[in-house]
Amino acid sequence: MTEALMGTYAVFYREMLIFKYKLMRLGYVFYSVSTPILYLLAFGLGFGSRVQIPDYGAFLIQGIVCMSSMTNSFNMVSVSVGMGRLHSGEFQTVLTSPVKASAIMRGLVLSGVVRGLFASTMILLAGLFVFHVFPFTFVAFVALVLNTAFFSAAGVIIGVVIDDMENHAVLTNFIIMPMAFFSGTFYPVDFLPHWLQKLVWLLPLSHANKLIRAGELNAETLPSFILLLGLTAVCFTAGTFMLNRYNE
Amino acid sequence: MLLEVMNIRKTYGKVVAVEDVSFSIGRGEVFGLLGENGAGKTTTIKMLSTLATPDSGRILLNGRDIRKYRRETRKSIAVVSQDMNLGYELSVFEVLYIYALLRGIRNSKKLIDETIAKMGMTEKRNSKVGTLSGGQKRRVMAARAMLSGAELIFMDEPTIGLDPAVRREMWDIIRQMQADGRSILLTTHYTDEAEYLCGRVAIMEKGRIVSMDTPQSLIDCAGAFAVDINSRTLLFRDNDAADDYIAKESLTGHRVRRTKLDDVLVSSIGRAV
Ligand SMILES: Nc1ncnc2c1ncn2[C@@H]1O[C@H](COP(=O)(O)OP(=O)(O)OP(=O)(O)O)[C@@H](O)[C@H]1O
Ligand SMILES: [Mg+2]
Repeated sequence: MTEALMGTYAVFYREMLIFKYKLMRLGYVFYSVSTPILYLLAFGLGFGSRVQIPDYGAFLIQGIVCMSSMTNSFNMVSVSVGMGRLHSGEFQTVLTSPVKASAIMRGLVLSGVVRGLFASTMILLAGLFVFHVFPFTFVAFVALVLNTAFFSAAGVIIGVVIDDMENHAVLTNFIIMPMAFFSGTFYPVDFLPHWLQKLVWLLPLSHANKLIRAGELNAETLPSFILLLGLTAVCFTAGTFMLNRYNE
Repeated sequence: MLLEVMNIRKTYGKVVAVEDVSFSIGRGEVFGLLGENGAGKTTTIKMLSTLATPDSGRILLNGRDIRKYRRETRKSIAVVSQDMNLGYELSVFEVLYIYALLRGIRNSKKLIDETIAKMGMTEKRNSKVGTLSGGQKRRVMAARAMLSGAELIFMDEPTIGLDPAVRREMWDIIRQMQADGRSILLTTHYTDEAEYLCGRVAIMEKGRIVSMDTPQSLIDCAGAFAVDINSRTLLFRDNDAADDYIAKESLTGHRVRRTKLDDVLVSSIGRAV
């Protein structure tokens, strides 16, 4: 292993150990997926047949998978970095070690991706159980990885810039939650008024939803894919830059 | 010189945390930074450990600017911070293993177990760090520094909140590190600790270093003989002067004693105010 790889592994392994201990705590799994599964059941069984969307069960599963991958990745990474910096001081230990910023970034993003994919898997399984469908393709998987990578990288940035964990709650309530509700999670974006649709297409989650629902790369979905890829690269670079310039 | 600090300054908004601080640390030296709460000790360590950028001034480690050679610097230093920065969930072994990975130490498992044994923590090897006592946590933090192989170790109040016996154990650990050839920058509120461990000490006050020398020279300079009058202490250069003072002021029941570093600290801060 090269030194950079060791650094990435150190950061990733630490997050995974903490994740493992969380999973071992009875009730954590239930707690972490209870809200999305509640959405799935309430919306799916409630509107199900009444909504003018074909295969609403599958539609909903895809939307909630996408939403949960975002919230899980973003929260895990931003809370880990934010709390590690502001409360426990564990993150300073990483920062004063000889590990390159890009290696730290990779470790954090990778752990966020795993957390996001884990949540998504739980929901896909719940969907399979309740609606007997598994609306997920390889392209959807790639899109999901991109989505989790993007929101993990964004999580690092937020974790580094906030100066109080209260700011984190504010950001979650004013950016992440609205994005979760307006980006086509529960109904297609074109149900929204025209002016709002324009805004919604500026949100990365809308594009992730579009890709996951389409399940294939074509002329219509390729721009979304490229956009998501570009945004991930930008966030990754910005996060690395900020770790490099870190100054208390 | 291993470390050279030249006129560093750091402000947070209107607060001047550190002002015009200069000193140097030689190889194998234990250098003490003394000062009351808010004197700027932690801020100084943050700058020396590349966590905070000074507003001005220069810091050289092995003759190289630490800002230009950040990764090399980080390889050579380890920080034992004032806050207990171990987290909660991981075991003692896991904390040290991850630290070893961060430091780029290969095949570290045996080394870690040896370090754990050296710290007398073998029984706690698999305990969650969150469940350890304060003294045990401090030892794990020191174990990381030992493990790091760093030539310069910053220890920010490593004995704060420890009982007297555990404090002395930490002193042994610090002596051991020194014997292993490490250099140490130690901050503390305890003057007995500085007197026992440090070759030289600097007394910081309101962000500035107000005096710096060996503990004995500081004592001699301030006056090696002390007379306690209620809560105040007067320092004298020689015993006769102290006796004369007691006679002149007819202070019955007062006796002359040897000055401790503590008295110097109190009097130096008292004078500056
Ligand atoms: N991030 C910060 N923002 C604003 N002010 C700060 C910050 N860090 C330190 N200060 C201020 O700088 C001064 C020096 O603080 P520092 O923590 O370096 O003191 P210290 O000598 O370590 O004190 P203690 O013995 O209590 O640990 C204090 O007045 C403190 O309030
Ligand atoms: Mg301090």
